[in-house]
Amino acid sequence: MSTATEILAQVPRLPAFPASAARLAELLHDERAGAPEVEKVIRPDPALTASLLRIAASAYFSPRSRPETVRQAVTLLGVKRTFEVATGAALATMLPSRLPGYDMDARAFWLHCVAVAVFSERLAKEVKAKCPDLLFTAGLLHDVGKLVISSFVERQAGSILLKSRHGMDFSAAEREVLGVDHAEIGAQVAVTWRLPEPVAWAARWHHRPGEAPANVDRSLVDLVHAADALAISLGLGCDTGELARSVDPQAWQRLGLHVRRMELVASEGLEAVKGLAAALGEVRGTK
Amino acid sequence: MSAITVEISDLKVSARGDDMLITYALGSCIAVIVHDPVRKVGGMIHYMLPLSEIAPDKAQEKPAMFADTGIPELFRSMYGMGCDKRNLVVKVAGGGALYDDKGLFNIGKRNYTVLRKMFWKAGVMIASEDVGGAKSRTARLWVATGKCTIACQGEEVEL
Repeated sequence: MSTATEILAQVPRLPAFPASAARLAELLHDERAGAPEVEKVIRPDPALTASLLRIAASAYFSPRSRPETVRQAVTLLGVKRTFEVATGAALATMLPSRLPGYDMDARAFWLHCVAVAVFSERLAKEVKAKCPDLLFTAGLLHDVGKLVISSFVERQAGSILLKSRHGMDFSAAEREVLGVDHAEIGAQVAVTWRLPEPVAWAARWHHRPGEAPANVDRSLVDLVHAADALAISLGLGCDTGELARSVDPQAWQRLGLHVRRMELVASEGLEAVKGLAAALGEVRGTK
Repeated sequence: MSAITVEISDLKVSARGDDMLITYALGSCIAVIVHDPVRKVGGMIHYMLPLSEIAPDKAQEKPAMFADTGIPELFRSMYGMGCDKRNLVVKVAGGGALYDDKGLFNIGKRNYTVLRKMFWKAGVMIASEDVGGAKSRTARLWVATGKCTIACQGEEVEL
């Protein structure tokens, strides 16, 4: 069995995505679903209820008022935003304490995920793009493949690092050494967990947005690509690959980005990233 | 020994002999590390961006976010602890870059250019530095001795 096949075989062995979060994903497609239906899914799940309220109360999601009941949170956030918060909360509880291949702990991993989610949305605003559907969740889960591939990266760390430290993009080095990278595996995880398509798209193409096929929301993958570059550059959740990541100039062009816009997004987004990472940290029980 | 963490967009100054200032994951951000061997005072800033003109309100709230507001604040804090500019040993680390042939994303280089201009104008000499590259660095400064190290790519060396 090739290493790539062996890694792909691990995807179904990940813990199942919490049923209540998966049910919320189904409600997204149901136009008739409103606050009462969403509430019915959340209320029987005490862990989800607690974490939803905690995260929904963060300044990022509720800058003006602090919801105290599920009904209030759902009414305030809307069905889609509630799903985004619930997905974050669900995933936060599923993380292992370390990702050995990437030499990072769960806290650093989350900091990076949250930074990419927040920066993606800020970037969309900054370039006045229509915010792609589920951009926050797509940003938050873009690296979910690392949960599966991490132990394989650890076994081949020497070969991967040798390449990445001599000018090769870290995910390209993963592909060369393992035959598959965390991006492809991430898309498989999203499919296995039955998460909405944008999550799989961002996971699959965030390092190579230019190669995404025509049915993919290009703006979404461009934004997650740029947000990922910004988060890595600023050291928000740094891993063993350090800064060995390529920037796609075409994505920059498509979005109309330039360095000052990135700087503005960084300055405006930093506090939100820290605040939200702390709220998610509480859900994980690490703080 | 107690370790004092300098977060991104923050600065810390200490005159306690058993303190060690530390900052993690310097990518394109820069740490300016200052030590006064006479007064035995250490200071460190981890700034994120070059110029505060893009967000003056943020600079007011968090001067250490930017080189042009944070670095003067660091030096003022050192002077406030009784340090003399002539005695200060100044070191610099960070300013890394992604693999970016076209230089589209050159925050690290901009961070470093602004710092050099400011130091040139103010007559500040850099004793040693470790900047650039696709690297993430962790910087440490021991207040009692002024010993400064940079950890990067699995190795820790003295700066």
